[in-house]
Amino acid sequence: MMKKQNSYLSKHKWNLIKLMILALLVIATITAFMLIGIDFSKPKLVAFAFKLRAPKLVAMLVAAFAIGAASIVFQSIINNRIVTPCLLGMNALYTLIHTLIFFALGSGSIFAANDTVAYIIDLIIMAVVATFIYGYLFKKTNYNVLYVLLIGTVLSSLFGSIQSSMIFVMDPNEYDILLETLVASFSNIKTEIISFSVVLLTVVAFFLRKDLQLLDVITLGKEQAINLGVDYDRVVRRLLIGVTLCIAVATAMIGPISFLGLIIANLARQLLKTYRHSHLIIGSGLIGMLALVGSQCLVERVFDYSVPVSVFITIGGGIYFLWLLLWGKRGSI
Amino acid sequence: MNVRNLIKKYDGKAVVDSVSFKIEKGKVTSLIGPNGAGKSTVMGMISRLVAKDSGIIDFEDKDLSQWKSRELAKRLAILTQHNNVQMKLTVQELVAFGRFPYSGSHLTAEDAEIIAKAIDYMELTEFADKYIDELSGGQRQRAYIAMVIAQDTDYILLDEPTNNLDIYHATNMMKIVRRLCDELGKTVILVLHEINYAAFYSDYICAFVDGKIAKYGTVDEVMNKETLSKIYNVDFQIIEIDGKPLSIYY
Repeated sequence: MMKKQNSYLSKHKWNLIKLMILALLVIATITAFMLIGIDFSKPKLVAFAFKLRAPKLVAMLVAAFAIGAASIVFQSIINNRIVTPCLLGMNALYTLIHTLIFFALGSGSIFAANDTVAYIIDLIIMAVVATFIYGYLFKKTNYNVLYVLLIGTVLSSLFGSIQSSMIFVMDPNEYDILLETLVASFSNIKTEIISFSVVLLTVVAFFLRKDLQLLDVITLGKEQAINLGVDYDRVVRRLLIGVTLCIAVATAMIGPISFLGLIIANLARQLLKTYRHSHLIIGSGLIGMLALVGSQCLVERVFDYSVPVSVFITIGGGIYFLWLLLWGKRGSI
Repeated sequence: MNVRNLIKKYDGKAVVDSVSFKIEKGKVTSLIGPNGAGKSTVMGMISRLVAKDSGIIDFEDKDLSQWKSRELAKRLAILTQHNNVQMKLTVQELVAFGRFPYSGSHLTAEDAEIIAKAIDYMELTEFADKYIDELSGGQRQRAYIAMVIAQDTDYILLDEPTNNLDIYHATNMMKIVRRLCDELGKTVILVLHEINYAAFYSDYICAFVDGKIAKYGTVDEVMNKETLSKIYNVDFQIIEIDGKPLSIYY
């Protein structure tokens, strides 16, 4: 696949074309999602369908981009293509928070029943954990990313065990309602939640704009990055906190989707074969949009809501992940 | 570069113990010594990769810690052996990173010229579009040197540049070091394990033992039977080839 040696500039141009094609595909999928199955002879129904579909669509696009960008950044910092920010334990934390609320206050409480309140609680707890616990741990471990990964894995299982012990003593009916909130879903996402998420992500991106430009250099490794004048520890700490915040926002908005980040980041890397993060992040975000909107389209129009979207993502992601590990060319990982 | 009373401790044990020396500008200086003597740690500290515990590293009239990292990157380059890039990167793209301290990711026409020159200088022009993971060990090493040349610094620090290279490539590497100094006027500081490379290709040798400097001087001052035997605890014989002292040990 790599036999043809493209020169520096033409590879760059090729990637821009690829990104453009991806964008067109995303637009096509969006159109399909918005228009298929609408009876255009009844204008009132059209307006109603749009009102139902538009927030869902925006939520998917925002979440996909947040997860895609965060995954690329995370992989580049760790310098490994088969890690995903899930390893930091955000999904497990989300599950724990929800279980805890159901366990302590019941499904009828405002913290569980009101989506906006639940979203804010999720976000605050995850953001606080992200900034303080991870910020503290990064410092404590001397910014050793491997320790950070290890701690993330340990925290995930800790959160997981606490959660499962609570489930064992929980009322089965409550558990049934809880389970609904623990799978990613796009139904009933409120507009204010979406706009708040967009604002938050924009703020994160704004604060990290300079650090993001250093990502290309950071992938050369710590010593090379320092040699080239990058304040490595500081930049990596800021970026990791940004990654956790992005994942926190996306998870609080739509629920946990574990494999999505891994798939789309790797697809983007495979497609673009570049070190330029401006391209990789956009590519990964676009592929994420394609995957989410596409599979949601299937869920709604073909399977008639009988399977949740995360099933597609997990099955597809699992197979792709195995393929990547077993048959992926050594050079491509 | 003037180093005074440099100290580094790991777990209370001094690995580098009150080391003071001055690096001569425009010369090749080799740091040698047995394993664990602290030469690599010293290299780490004078290249800001390792934090020092105390002491002064006076670089161009300013302590190293006072320098802005980006400015320092235009004056001093360090190349270690930990270079495994996971990215698909061509030689050209790698060398272009050398211009990062100057232009960030937006290369100017002048940068492009410097990059092309650096690649040409390392005789890598025909490999410019090859991915670095497809190169041989020696070529890859040269690609990294080309990047350091593109970085256009007065000082070049090399941590064990001959490691993992066979005799042919290691000798070539040392010739390159000499050319960096003689043709491009760089000040080169390198950590070496092979004493004879240090003797043959450098101007000054700084020998470390147990975190202290055992002997620092010109090649002729260091390369004698008594000094070397004391440093390495092995019997040495010194012979002369091409007017340069070479050691034989057994």
